[in-house]
Order: sequence, then C-alpha cells, then structure tokens
Amino acid sequence: MFYRLSGVYRVNYVSDGRMFKVPADRNLAVVFLFLGLAAPFIVPSLYLNSYMLPWLIWTAAALGLNLVTGWAGQLHLGYAAVMAVGAYSAIHAARFGLPWEIALVIGGLASSVIGSLFAFAALRVKGLYLALTTLAMQFVMDWVLTHSPAISGGSHASLQAPTLELLGQEIVSDTGYYYVAFGWCVLVTIFMLNLKRTGLGRALVAVREKDYAAAILGVNSFYYKILAFATSSFIAGVSGALLVATFFFLAAPEQFSVNVSIQVLAMVIIGGLASVIGSYFGVALILLVPGLVNGVVTSASQALGMQVNVETLAHIPNAVYGALIVVILLIEPLGLGKLYGNIRDYLMVWPFDQLRK
Amino acid sequence: MMRVTKTIAALSMVGGLMAGTQALADPFKIGVCYDLSKAYTFATPQIAQAAQDLAKIVNMEGGIGGEPVEVIVRDHGNEPQRGIECYSKLSREGVFVFDTLSTPVSLAVLPRAMEDENILMQSLVGRADAVDGTVFDWVYPVGPTYWGQAANDIGYIKQVHDGDLSGVKVGFIYFDYPFGQEPIEILETLAEKEGFELMLYPIPLPGSDQAGAWSKMRRDQPDHVISWMLGGAHVVAAKEMARNRIPMEKYIAVNWLNEVDIANIGNEAAIGLKRGTNVVGGLDVPLRQKMMTELYDKGEGSGPIVKTEDVFYNTGLAMYSIMFEAARKAAEIDGMPITAQSYKKGLESLEGYDADGLMAPITVTADDHGGGGKTRIEMWDGETWVPQTDWIADYKDIVWDVVKESSSKYGN
Repeated sequence: MFYRLSGVYRVNYVSDGRMFKVPADRNLAVVFLFLGLAAPFIVPSLYLNSYMLPWLIWTAAALGLNLVTGWAGQLHLGYAAVMAVGAYSAIHAARFGLPWEIALVIGGLASSVIGSLFAFAALRVKGLYLALTTLAMQFVMDWVLTHSPAISGGSHASLQAPTLELLGQEIVSDTGYYYVAFGWCVLVTIFMLNLKRTGLGRALVAVREKDYAAAILGVNSFYYKILAFATSSFIAGVSGALLVATFFFLAAPEQFSVNVSIQVLAMVIIGGLASVIGSYFGVALILLVPGLVNGVVTSASQALGMQVNVETLAHIPNAVYGALIVVILLIEPLGLGKLYGNIRDYLMVWPFDQLRK
Repeated sequence: MMRVTKTIAALSMVGGLMAGTQALADPFKIGVCYDLSKAYTFATPQIAQAAQDLAKIVNMEGGIGGEPVEVIVRDHGNEPQRGIECYSKLSREGVFVFDTLSTPVSLAVLPRAMEDENILMQSLVGRADAVDGTVFDWVYPVGPTYWGQAANDIGYIKQVHDGDLSGVKVGFIYFDYPFGQEPIEILETLAEKEGFELMLYPIPLPGSDQAGAWSKMRRDQPDHVISWMLGGAHVVAAKEMARNRIPMEKYIAVNWLNEVDIANIGNEAAIGLKRGTNVVGGLDVPLRQKMMTELYDKGEGSGPIVKTEDVFYNTGLAMYSIMFEAARKAAEIDGMPITAQSYKKGLESLEGYDADGLMAPITVTADDHGGGGKTRIEMWDGETWVPQTDWIADYKDIVWDVVKESSSKYGN
C-alpha cells in the first residue's frame, strides 16, 4: 500500500545492482536531498547553524568510521585522532597560503597516511586487541597535540583557521557554511551508498566476516584492510578540517580527544553497523539529543514553575539520554538503521500480510 | 479546516504578543553557559548559585536602570559543540554577555563572540592573552591570568626570601596538558631573571598517580612547590607530601582549590597549605554575609547553604559583582537599554572596584581587559583563609611581554 511492492525480489542483475532496492527509499532520499538544499530558506538560522551543520559534518565523519568498523569490521577507537590530523594539516596548509581546496585534500591525505599506520596494527591483531591499539594511538596523538606548540598553535593550544574559500568564493555566511557541510555529507553518502554494490564493498564485507575465508576466496585481506583504513581516514581528515573551518573556526585538542573518539564509535554502533541511514540517526542521537533533552527539561521545569536546582537540571538530561541509548539497543541491537528497516519491512506489503496471520 | 487555520492564527497572535511583552521588559540578561555535569563540576555549581543569588539581590534592590536582571543558566557538559549551541540560542534571545567557565568551550565560542560583537566574560578560563584589549575587543578575562598568577606566586616567594631568590629552589608540579603547561614559560623567564632554580614535575591526567614526581621531589628538596592541578589531584598531592615528609607549608596551589579539597585532605593535615587567589576566602566577607541575611536566613537562597561555605562561591560572587557593576555603569553612561557597546564602556569604566572588599581591586581599561591581574597568597589555618600578602601584581612587564607575543599571533 505504501510501497507498491509485493516484496524485494531480485529477478535480474540490474535490479540486484540498484542502489535502492525499494523505489520508495529512493524517492525519500530525493525528497530529503531537496529538503536539505532548501534548508537555509525554511530552517531558522539557529537550527541551521547549531544543529544541522554539525549533524551533517559528524554524519560524514561517522560514515567514514562506519566504512572501517561497519563494513571492514575493524574496531577503531582512535578516529578523533585521525580527524585531528586532517584538521591540523589542512589549517596549517591554509595558513601557509595554499587554497582551501588543496588544503582540504592535503588534510585528507595526511590523515590517510597516519590512519594507514593504524592498519598495520590491524594486520597483526583483531577485535579488542585492535581496539586497544587504536586507543593507544589516540593517546599518542593527544600527547603530540598538547606537547608541540608548533602544531597546536602556541601555549593555548588553539589554532585559528583562516576564512574558508572554495572555488574563488569566500564563505562567511551561515548559509554558505551549511552548503559546504551539506555538499560534503552528500558526497560521502553517495560514496557509501555505492560502496555496497562495488567489488570493494563486497571484499570489505568478506574480510569482516572471516578474513582468512576471504583470503581463500582470493580477496587480499592485507590490501583491503589498508584500503579501508586509508579511505575512512581520508573521510575523517576532510570532515575534521571542515568541522573546524565551518563550525569551530579554531582547532583545539579537546575537540579531538579520546571521548570524541568514543562518541563517534557510539554514533556508528547506535546508528547501526554498515548502515548509511543509521549513521544519520546515530549522529542525531549522540550529538543533538543531549542538547535537545536539556532544552526540553529546562523549559518543562520553567513551564511547571518548579524551582529545580541548576545542577539537578543539568543531570536529568544526562540520565534520560543514557536511558534512551540503553532502551534503543535493547529494542534493536542492530541500531537505529535496523529499526528503520524493521518499520519499512513491516509496512512493505501492509495490509496484505495481515491476512496470513 | 477553517477552524484549524483560525486556531493557528490565534496561536501565532498569542505568540507574537508574548514576544512583544518580552521585548518591552528587556531585562539585562547574562548567558551562563556552564559545564554543570562533566569536568568543571568541582566549581560550577557554587559559582552558578552565587550568580543566581546575586541576581536576586540586585532585583530586590530595584534592578539595574529600573529593570530586573536575569541570569540564564544552561548546561553544556564541557562540549564545545553544545557550548556553541547555548551561545547561539541565547544570543538570538537578546543576550549579549556570556560566561562559559570552561576553557574548551570558551575557545570555541570566542571567534563567534568576536564576530558577533558580543561580550565574552572568561574569568579564570580560556586563552589568557585575551587580556590584551587591543586585539580581543569583546573578550574580558577579568581577574588574573595563569601567567600573572604564577608571576605573583614568585613575587610572594621573593617576599618570603627578603627579596633575594638566588639559590632558592622552586618546584612546579602541573597537569601535563595546556592548563598546567601555561605558566612554564613565565616561570622559566623569571627563573633566569631572579636566579632561582626551577624544577618541573609533570603529572599525567587525571592526577591520581603522582608517586614518581613527589619521590623525585624528596630528593630535590625544593623550598617551595607551586601546584597547577585541580580538585582531587590536590588531595593526592597532600597524601604524597605526607609520605615523603614534605611539609604542607611549601605547597602553593593555583586558585582551583577549595574547602571540599581541604576536607578531603583532612583539616589538620591541610594547615599551612597556601593558594593564590584574587578573591577573599572564608565566611567573613561582607557580600556573602549579605546573602545570608537577605536570602538564606529567609530560605530564599538559590541552592543548599553548604555550597556557600566555599571559596568558589566567593569567586562566583566576585565574577558576577563585576558583571552587574559594569551593567550599572553602562546604564549610567548610556542609559537604558544596555547594549553590547554600552556594556563594553561600562566594563572599561570600572576603576579600583573590589565589590565591598570581596576581591582584589580591578581597573579594566580598553587595553587591559584583565583588570590589573592582582592576586595574593592565602593560607589555610584550620578554620579559615589567612592572607599572607597584600594584593600584588608583580613582573607586569614580563607578563605583558608574554601576552603581547601570544596575542599578536591571533588572526594571522
């Protein structure tokens, strides 16, 4: 009724290779693409600038982590460090006088190089051991940032980003920043959607499921693991650089500390491993819900005229937020992306499936 | 359908009316975007409570320029992203004076405040070179910078040694990240100038493991130990000092040490402990007593009374006295309503203001947004804080050299 399908059947190779197996999904994606394009004209600037913009950039970043953790199955706890490499190298390049387009690519490539170092650890160890190794790399990066004023920008460890300039356009308005973030997020999303249907994506999945079984099938797991780390690090680097260029305007070590790494991983896990739409949901939950719940609780206590201590008021949203994560993962361990899939699958042939029951 | 449209129209009219009345009253508002749930909770509840109490008192006395004042307290959980959200939201609601009390958030908000021409108060946190008003037009770190505070600590040590520091050994124990590293440069410059020996003892975060540093200190035997650590780390330090038989008198803490830490160290064990401060500690402060008689005795305080028995409560009173006094001055100079421009004038007309003996007198000028950076050393005697010096601001030229050198890099 809603989807005009009797189910998803792969009747020929063309339909099997489609990006969207369900036409309604494609239509929805197009609608959201247009909504995203129109957002600066329909969304108040506060929401555009303080919620949507960071949401889009973090989604791009989370998609990058999803590539290495969700698709290639390599647990990564040092993702923020890789973002930091991209951010700092891009800003230094831009401050040096290079155009931003090149600076962003330099940031991405620098991240790729450093991020691939993580891959060498991944070739030796797996699972929790890899998680610890990547975590250690995060700490190394933290240490480097706080101990090298040349990189982090003096005794305050804050490095000012020059004004963003792309394609000869100086970008200074809220709308401009938003479109840059939106463009990058769309690019990464298209890349990730296509990843599923390429040989690369299938190889990554094979490596994830069992790397030596993949090797027997002729998939070089050594090569694909490095490729996964390098690609995801490139996305991380550019996202980190754009985060600073369009949102923070200066880079500080706290923006890329270990708890940020854990947050990005949480975004990916709660969103759903290897789920593109899940990453959007996961980022929204981890990044935006604390602030939104905070606002709701504050205005509710004001509306009810309750004299709640400011400290209590600050802790209630945290409790709500924590409970929300637990409840979501209890309802659907595969994350918010799967939750969306469940709803879609339920409605796919509704109400005709009711007849069978 | 018609009815729905009518309802919407009616609702939007009510909304418009409400917005209209808000614009009419136009109270002076301070946006208090604080970390009330994560890293800074050792101090933020007391300071936020002081801010709210002070606003109540100001309103009881007729407000500012005949209008009530308001402090809007929000939590940002020490996350730059949420700090920016808080800033953006409140600035759209007509707030133009902000305080974040968090270095990462202050750093993140600073470029926006500079761009939007909103006042960013950042006493005791954030980038210290913002005291340079010629560069940071809209940022007011009123109070001492860590550079100034460290220099004043050396000034105190110099007084103890009758003006001759040659051969004196000063240990500096610090969190090995930007907060703790900040004073090193100035201490090294002063060591060269005054001829004392500076020894550095970095501590990894969160400061629970200090055994190595203190046993090294037992061998080095410094005459004084300046400590740039927070909260519980002071307690660990006190335990290690006892273990290594280093007398508590040698310990000079950064301003971030309060009665909670004293209680955790143990009142007896903490006797002789010193801290640098720009605010008078203890309960016998006129403004705090006013809070007691006007609010807490009537049960109208903004929080539990135990939170007021804390130097950070006094610190909060000092910070917000300055902000309200600046608003008063602004109303005097340019009348109501106060704008960011007139508030800036108000701040820069503060001269020798000490909030009724609560803090070091401050004089904010267009060049010096720190207000002079005076501090003194206070010692815990088992009951209260006993001042060891007058309010001092030593080595100002050296501190300002560092400030200028750093601030000149902003924006390039």
